[in-house]
Amino acid sequence: MKRFSFLFAVLISALVLPAALIGQNISGSSHDFSGTGWNTTGEICIVCHTPHNADITVSEAPLWNHEVTVSTFTPYSSATLDATVGQPSASSKLCLSCHDGTVALDNFGGQTGGTIFITGDALMGTGLDNDHPISFTYDATLATNDQGLHDPTTTNSGLGGTIHEDMLFAGQMECASCHDVHNSTGLPKLLIKSNATSALCLTCHDK
Amino acid sequence: MLQIKIENLLQVFLPIVLLPACLFAQSIVNTVHNLSVSGPGSVKAVSESEICIFCHTPHNSNPRPPLWNRNDPGFNYILYNSSTAQGLPGQPTGASVLCLSCHDGTIALGNVLSRSSPISFSGGVTTMPPGKSNLGTDLSDDHPISFVYNSALAAADGQLADPATLSGPVKLENGELQCIACHDPHRNIFNDFLVVSHRYSNLCLICHQRTHWNLSTHQSSSASWNGNGNDPWFHTPFNTVAENGCENCHNPHKADGHFRLMNYLPEENNCLDCHNGNVAGSDIQLQLSKSFIHNVYNYLGMHDPEEANVVQTLHVECEDCHNPHAVRNAPASAPNANGFVQGVKGVDTNGNPVSTIQYTYELCYRCHADSPTLPASPTSRQIEQNNTRLEFDLNNPSFHPIEGPGVNPNVPSLISPLTESSVVYCSDCHASDGSGSPAGPHGSIYPQILKFRYETADNTPESYQNYRLCYECHDRTVIINSTGNFGQRVHRKHIVDQDTPCNACHDPHGISSLQGNSTNNTHLINFDISIVFADPVTGRLEFEDTGSYRGRCYLRCHGVNHSPEFYQ
Repeated sequence: MKRFSFLFAVLISALVLPAALIGQNISGSSHDFSGTGWNTTGEICIVCHTPHNADITVSEAPLWNHEVTVSTFTPYSSATLDATVGQPSASSKLCLSCHDGTVALDNFGGQTGGTIFITGDALMGTGLDNDHPISFTYDATLATNDQGLHDPTTTNSGLGGTIHEDMLFAGQMECASCHDVHNSTGLPKLLIKSNATSALCLTCHDK
Repeated sequence: MLQIKIENLLQVFLPIVLLPACLFAQSIVNTVHNLSVSGPGSVKAVSESEICIFCHTPHNSNPRPPLWNRNDPGFNYILYNSSTAQGLPGQPTGASVLCLSCHDGTIALGNVLSRSSPISFSGGVTTMPPGKSNLGTDLSDDHPISFVYNSALAAADGQLADPATLSGPVKLENGELQCIACHDPHRNIFNDFLVVSHRYSNLCLICHQRTHWNLSTHQSSSASWNGNGNDPWFHTPFNTVAENGCENCHNPHKADGHFRLMNYLPEENNCLDCHNGNVAGSDIQLQLSKSFIHNVYNYLGMHDPEEANVVQTLHVECEDCHNPHAVRNAPASAPNANGFVQGVKGVDTNGNPVSTIQYTYELCYRCHADSPTLPASPTSRQIEQNNTRLEFDLNNPSFHPIEGPGVNPNVPSLISPLTESSVVYCSDCHASDGSGSPAGPHGSIYPQILKFRYETADNTPESYQNYRLCYECHDRTVIINSTGNFGQRVHRKHIVDQDTPCNACHDPHGISSLQGNSTNNTHLINFDISIVFADPVTGRLEFEDTGSYRGRCYLRCHGVNHSPEFYQ
């Protein structure tokens, strides 16, 4: 049932979004590894997804096909942070399965012992204390407590619905709140919306 | 479906249409901290449209919270210091480092971690231009930051709120006071990104709980500036004394007087900026333009609130006599301290320090009693004593009634309502001359800062004007015209017929019981030895009290030997 839901969501997205975001998809994006030497299959989706026998250790993982990180992360903390930030969960953990640098990019489809690791700006490492916090509940209560955040349940995301509807996952802020792993927008850094005039930041941050 | 879309559209557009007036004023977008090309200030990027980027980055920030996108200046700043500060700061920490990465003027504004080359600014601006926002690397003229502000500090200081009670807009960062305690860099609802208005010093008073302040004229006065001379409120937008509150005298940033963040380094300028006839009703500056003054201009940096009650090095500043946090217009009767000298320290009749005077003379005794730099008397007397505390002691053979009523039960010259049980202030004699002049010994055209003329030179013709100081309380007619010993035989003979000044025989302060006695030194008798000499016949120089209105003198004066001269 879960998988069906996911597929349904993918299909709806595939049908609805392109109309607005013409011609942008994962093909040719920084997440298209079909032409890399370490992905000998020549396929795009396979590095992350498989239609069968997927890894279900991560809750809600979408037909997962890549080795999942087992790292313990140092979460972001700050004197002015009101959210409770724990270990990365849900889809963020899947992102970090490449971006923490502990799992080889080529450890997918049951393969282990890969040798290709992420480098450069995209390498987050396991120290997430210098990165925007993720995997925390962002709700009206947090907005009230913080006084510097919009109420996600009533504030428009600019993407058609509220922040809660368009940018949160089970009410949580995740990597995918800002980034569209499949590059539906074609924006730099795979952002879900343009950050010109800091519009992406100011969607949530009432500053 | 259509309905939903319309709702969505309304959600998007209604706020844009209705809210900007209030919301944009509360957003960083419309503040000078929007350094992007869309920013409202003159300091802004040539083309960069992102706003947050000048301070924040979502990834690879350094320092880490709050996702900082700038380099730590890593500078050894000159830190705030003062003799009265309990919580002395260390080098800047926490969010303050981040503020200083622009506001110390050492790092280019466009130099952000997430860009490989600095963001270009219009006009060729790189680092923060000179001006009030550029604090430089000398932070000794700025409110201290990066110090632990805890209950212990509040208790040690005695005039700070317990930070545990801070529930309002002022917030500490990990228990330390940082720039963000007072400033919210994202919102400029009030001036200068303050977290709450500084009108009436509301912001300052959240932490600073000054003793006496709530009763002070400086807290409540609606006086305004008449527009002449310097603007006394050059760093605020406010127009009355009450509205300016602390900032009448203090400047939280780039203060000229570093210690205690004074508007001006010369102490008196902080007072005279208003007390010059342009704001306050009393023009003290005018009094200080006279020949004989408590010369506050003469000293710089010698006064310290922490100094000993007994002044160890001669100096005088307005703050030696006045507590600007406590001063108020509250009359009192002698010897009690009135509102103008509320909340100042002093020395009591026994020479012991008092933290807050009860009697005005205790204030004078700081300098004019036991101080090692005690000012000298202008008159050479038979009994030398410059310590006024000893001169006014209630056990003395005679004294002017400063600490309490005098010893003489018969003073016929007193002008009503004065009686033998009256008590007077030092400032009844030592005060600014001229009718309508502000009370207190600020400045006079007469020596010793006397309120009226008091001639002390020998051979002074008697007149009301020449001895007006005395005649204000002691009826001239009674002194020189009354029959009997008191009037014609003693006083008229000497001060009218012989042109001898009152000061030749009388020591107006008093004669200490440590030196004088109740035979020779009643009636304030202590001769000016430049006028009165020993009698060559008897070798004696003394007055002898032989009872009510009776006595005899052994001396030589104006070439006349008294060997003795009897008055009876």
